[in-house]
Amino acid sequence: MKKLTPQQLSRLHNHLIGTNTNELLMNELLDHLACEAETYLWKGYNFDLALEKITQDANTMAVKYLRENYQQEVAMTETQLQNASLDDIVFEFRNKAYGAYDLRQNYPLALRNALILGIGLFVMLMSFLSGLSQGSWDFFSPSGVAWIAGLSAVGYAVGTWFYRGQKINFLQPT
Amino acid sequence: MEATSNEFLRGTLKTIVLKLLAEQGRMYGYEITQSVKERTNGEITLTFGALYPVLHKLEQEDFLVTVSEEVDGRLRKYYSLTPSGSESAIQKVSDFERFVEAMQKLLQPNEGLTLNPIKS
Repeated sequence: MKKLTPQQLSRLHNHLIGTNTNELLMNELLDHLACEAETYLWKGYNFDLALEKITQDANTMAVKYLRENYQQEVAMTETQLQNASLDDIVFEFRNKAYGAYDLRQNYPLALRNALILGIGLFVMLMSFLSGLSQGSWDFFSPSGVAWIAGLSAVGYAVGTWFYRGQKINFLQPT
Repeated sequence: MEATSNEFLRGTLKTIVLKLLAEQGRMYGYEITQSVKERTNGEITLTFGALYPVLHKLEQEDFLVTVSEEVDGRLRKYYSLTPSGSESAIQKVSDFERFVEAMQKLLQPNEGLTLNPIKS
């Protein structure tokens, strides 16, 4: 059995990218086309001729048909749709790894953290100014309590943000 | 035959895939298309545009599980049946056999009205 070289494989891969193949099907289609190419090589065609035949069969129309057929078949079921978030619906069949999906998923948390951080810093500033104007500092005065409350809010926001970042880093494949 | 066979194929594709996997254990996409082509003497050819959506659908329905392996520098995805997939394969094949029998009855010329001379 004749094998494709990495260069020949990457030419097939480029063709698939050029025809706008669904990300989820990329590896399988690459294997499929590579198998076809190897069959042609085995029959005695040279690679360029095999590639031409394959790219004729797997042209933009065929891949478009595949994509449409795919979206029809593998669409979310009724129960899945009921449990799906808007993000899931918008990003169905789209590239979730690209980053926008993650940003949207993390948005509520980021917003909450930013709010807590902002309020905390403001409260700290106010209590600091009031302490400054009084000229004395006591942790048991109202401004002292406000300082502690603001500090813990800032600590909480920064802490959860940092913790989440660590978790994401940890989860990412190396 | 191309266009009409496609029309007939659409409803039976799942049955074909489940049946083949029940016999062969585990297969990858290209292997399935080749196996169908060989066994039907080229009468039925599955295009990748028809096959892969059905495979992914069956996987989504938990009838199939997949294992990816690297072969010759590319990833190959092997499909095999889950227990519920095996059940469904048996069910679908027997349903389809009953359907084919019924179709054959329909296609047989009606007695007494036959136009074809009966060969003996």
